[in-house]
Amino acid sequence: MRRAVLTAAALAGALTLAGCGTGSGSSKADLSVSASYMPQPVSADMAAGFLTITNKGGTKDELTSVTSDVAGQITMHSTVGGSMEEKTSFAVPAHGQLVFKSGGNHLMFEKLKHKPEQGQKVTLKLTFAKSGPLTVEMPVESATYNPSTGH
Amino acid sequence: MRKKTFAAAALLAAATLTLSACGSGDDGKSPVSVVSEETDSGKAATILDQPFEKPDLVLTDTHGKKYDLRAETKGHPTLVYFGYTHCPDICPTTMSNIAVAKQALPKAEQDNLRVVFVTTDPDRDTPAELGKWLKGIDPQFIGLTGDFSTIQAGARSLGISIEPTKKDKNGKVVSVHGTQVIAFSPKTDGGYVLYGEDATVDDYTKDLPKLVKGAKP
Repeated sequence: MRRAVLTAAALAGALTLAGCGTGSGSSKADLSVSASYMPQPVSADMAAGFLTITNKGGTKDELTSVTSDVAGQITMHSTVGGSMEEKTSFAVPAHGQLVFKSGGNHLMFEKLKHKPEQGQKVTLKLTFAKSGPLTVEMPVESATYNPSTGH
Repeated sequence: MRKKTFAAAALLAAATLTLSACGSGDDGKSPVSVVSEETDSGKAATILDQPFEKPDLVLTDTHGKKYDLRAETKGHPTLVYFGYTHCPDICPTTMSNIAVAKQALPKAEQDNLRVVFVTTDPDRDTPAELGKWLKGIDPQFIGLTGDFSTIQAGARSLGISIEPTKKDKNGKVVSVHGTQVIAFSPKTDGGYVLYGEDATVDDYTKDLPKLVKGAKP
């Protein structure tokens, strides 16, 4: 009886390690990007972009810049009561997320080379304080796109 | 026999535990850096017990002509929003949501509806700039600009607080938009329904047929 339980526990231990794979083994930040989109803007003067950065690792990181070939400038903003505030970096917490979403934090694209149209993709490079850069293919959705309904 | 069952159960439990522990981090327990979750009552519209009087705003439209809000919109279903065109997120989304929802109305009701965008950034939003921007959203929309203190007073009378455009500590020009769309009844001209910035195109599509008749959504 006791032996059987012990075996199970040992097995479970092995499974746990295997299940956690990369990332959790070491405590480094382990970043990935999801839910990225740009609502089709009114003009090439200005556009917004949204995405979620997930950190599976045990160390926090910091998003320090966003660049793209299509925009002369991309800035990061938080929104507080209808007023935007430009920020030079955003924390990506350990085992957590940094969320850019409509009505909250957003990326602001200025001096666009052309007006992004629905169906196109915008390539972004995200730079972090510690981790290597990430490339994101951000789809351009309709001007009224709602990520919770997907249309 | 019993031993084995027990061992298998333990293993299964451990495996389950493993899965949840190593999940994607979307389990709700992970710390989220910044969230601006709106309280969701399930309905986008807030119906006011005490309707707002339509503000006495006399401003300049996108053709550079004098526009008296009360006179021009009297007897028409009217939606009013305060925003600015150098706004990447909420202002174009709000106006686009209304524009798309409006397309679902019969033509006569579309023509009867007045959608008024009042700029909170009159220095940058000249009649020409406003006109260019609104044309990209819906050419029937009305854009108003003028003296900031007049606009601010009009917004305040609707419970909307806006501040003048200013430079932040980095020297970047920052403007403020309102957070509500107010619907005025064609029957009473009173502002009787509010929409927050999380109102979707589906919300407006569902409610506009009622709003154009002055009914409660």
